[in-house]
Amino acid sequence: MTATTFPFRKVLVANRGEIALRVIRACRELGLRTVAVYSTVDEHALHTRFADEAVCIGPGPSSQSYLNIKNIIAAAELSGADAVHPGYGFLSERAEFAEIVQKCKLTFIGPDPAHMLVMGDKVRARQTMEKSGVPVLPGTGVLTSAAHAVAEAERIGLPVILKASAGGGGRGMKIVRDLRLLPQTLQTAQVEALKAFGCGDMYLERYVESPRHVEVQVVADKHGGATHLLERECSIQRRHQKILEEAPCSALSEPLRREMCAAAVQAARAIGYHSLGTIEFLLDGDRFYFMEMNTRVQVEHCVTEMITGVDLVQEQIRLAAGEPLAHLAREFHPRGHAIECRINAEDPIKFAPQPGTISALHFPGGFGVRVDSHVYQGYTVSPHYDSMVGKLIVHAPDRPRAIRRMQRALSECVIEGIATNIPLHRWLLKQPAFTSGKYDTHFLEASLDPEAIRAEADAEGLV
Amino acid sequence: MSSEPRDFSSLPDLRYIRELAKVFRQYDLDEIEIESGEHRVLLRRSDFPAGAAPVTYARPAVAESAPAPNMPAPAPSPAAPVDNATYITSPFVGTFYRSASPDAPSFVEVGQSVQRGQTLCIVEAMKLFNELEAEFPCVIEEILLDNAKPVEYGTKLFRVRKL
Repeated sequence: MTATTFPFRKVLVANRGEIALRVIRACRELGLRTVAVYSTVDEHALHTRFADEAVCIGPGPSSQSYLNIKNIIAAAELSGADAVHPGYGFLSERAEFAEIVQKCKLTFIGPDPAHMLVMGDKVRARQTMEKSGVPVLPGTGVLTSAAHAVAEAERIGLPVILKASAGGGGRGMKIVRDLRLLPQTLQTAQVEALKAFGCGDMYLERYVESPRHVEVQVVADKHGGATHLLERECSIQRRHQKILEEAPCSALSEPLRREMCAAAVQAARAIGYHSLGTIEFLLDGDRFYFMEMNTRVQVEHCVTEMITGVDLVQEQIRLAAGEPLAHLAREFHPRGHAIECRINAEDPIKFAPQPGTISALHFPGGFGVRVDSHVYQGYTVSPHYDSMVGKLIVHAPDRPRAIRRMQRALSECVIEGIATNIPLHRWLLKQPAFTSGKYDTHFLEASLDPEAIRAEADAEGLV
Repeated sequence: MSSEPRDFSSLPDLRYIRELAKVFRQYDLDEIEIESGEHRVLLRRSDFPAGAAPVTYARPAVAESAPAPNMPAPAPSPAAPVDNATYITSPFVGTFYRSASPDAPSFVEVGQSVQRGQTLCIVEAMKLFNELEAEFPCVIEEILLDNAKPVEYGTKLFRVRKL
């Protein structure tokens, strides 16, 4: 790999928490300077500390700080940053932000705003994918009336799922099993979507009863090159929030993997994409369907890094600099197995976020263990932001050994002063459905056992 | 631009403070102050001068250091020493201007009384000139920054006395 000559020298990281650190680390290794932005609550946060410079952009509430485009752009101007990395969440999928960044002659480390707009509109994304031969579920365009919805539902066959065109990430969806209830459900869903996303457009898709969520990591350059870095299995979810991810997906046969990864590359090519992205598929037996595309780095990118040996964030920055795929343009084969547990500051049974101060902290270590976290002893988990305090990632030669390594790592992990979901993970890793690899997106919610999780919480520290 | 809002390399080494805290504890001191070059470090028991509670070492009571060279730090966190003065801080990130244009007179001067709603300064960002107005009647006691200095959210601009 030849050294990249970057058209930018100083990257402003428009985010906080572990992903801000992740980006700062990538930049430092690439020889790029970094500017952190922070809210008054994050004055002592590690991203504020580890960046070469830091600018305070507002008070705690993210609407006034991490979503404050005006102050973020002003911080870039003041510090002389010439590129912006949006991380995930916050402004990462706001086409408007990417556009402003580009208008200010800064490099946006991500795709074109146009790509974000196509993929942010779920109906347009569906149609674009269908046209380019990527499999989608039987479904509709924007519904024009209750009668239209009923006619379409009859054609598709029950059950169906109502989705908001401006939704995504599992938000704004309703399952319909009875045609008579469809008009009423549609009306409620429209009102909710209007409130949540500012757009009441809805569409229908066939509902799959027992799907798995499998996504493919794609990378594409500005010279027409596009390829994939295998898949991630993300079916362990609660209320559409991923809790544990792994790579590769044990439900895919080699031919199916090849087919799915090729479809993902086709999806990226269909819109002329040129950055790091993820194509989410719904896997139903041995058939898969396009769900949505995420035009940013994902929380769970680490499991892909472990099984491919590729630093995805560095590659994302390289691609934004206009570099060709080069060393990435090859066939990847899974190198062992990786699992990631998202550690959240929350009640392990009720899942209510638990802000507070971490009084004692010990992260696990040893061969094949990686911790991506922004917390330290004395760190206060703020109620203003996401409750994730870190990610525990393990890598091993195969899935059974990765599970044992994760169990070992979880047993070493000590976070005192706040409640975390570590007991949930300990319980989860013991479940036969999990260890056998035979689970779908409903598994976690359907089999949650509060008593058993409480027992895990009680057993903690008695290793 | 050459501004470097917060350069942490100018802070004293944390290990140095940790060592100081050890000495502090070992000799059961109430206060220790060390000055060298541009750094001044002050450790004080939170209960000083009463002197009863034990001192924890992970968190020395107070550690002060020289301010960052270019951009003033934002308002101090609640742990910092109590300051009874009233400050007007910047709600924007940008460049601080005391007047509407280089030739125009300054909006306010030290000693001047200002009304609620009166313009105090301009904070410019991306060619947008944001006028900052007084939210309450007050007397300007100190102007804390020179003209054309970069400011971040929460930077103290004026020390005032409420009327």
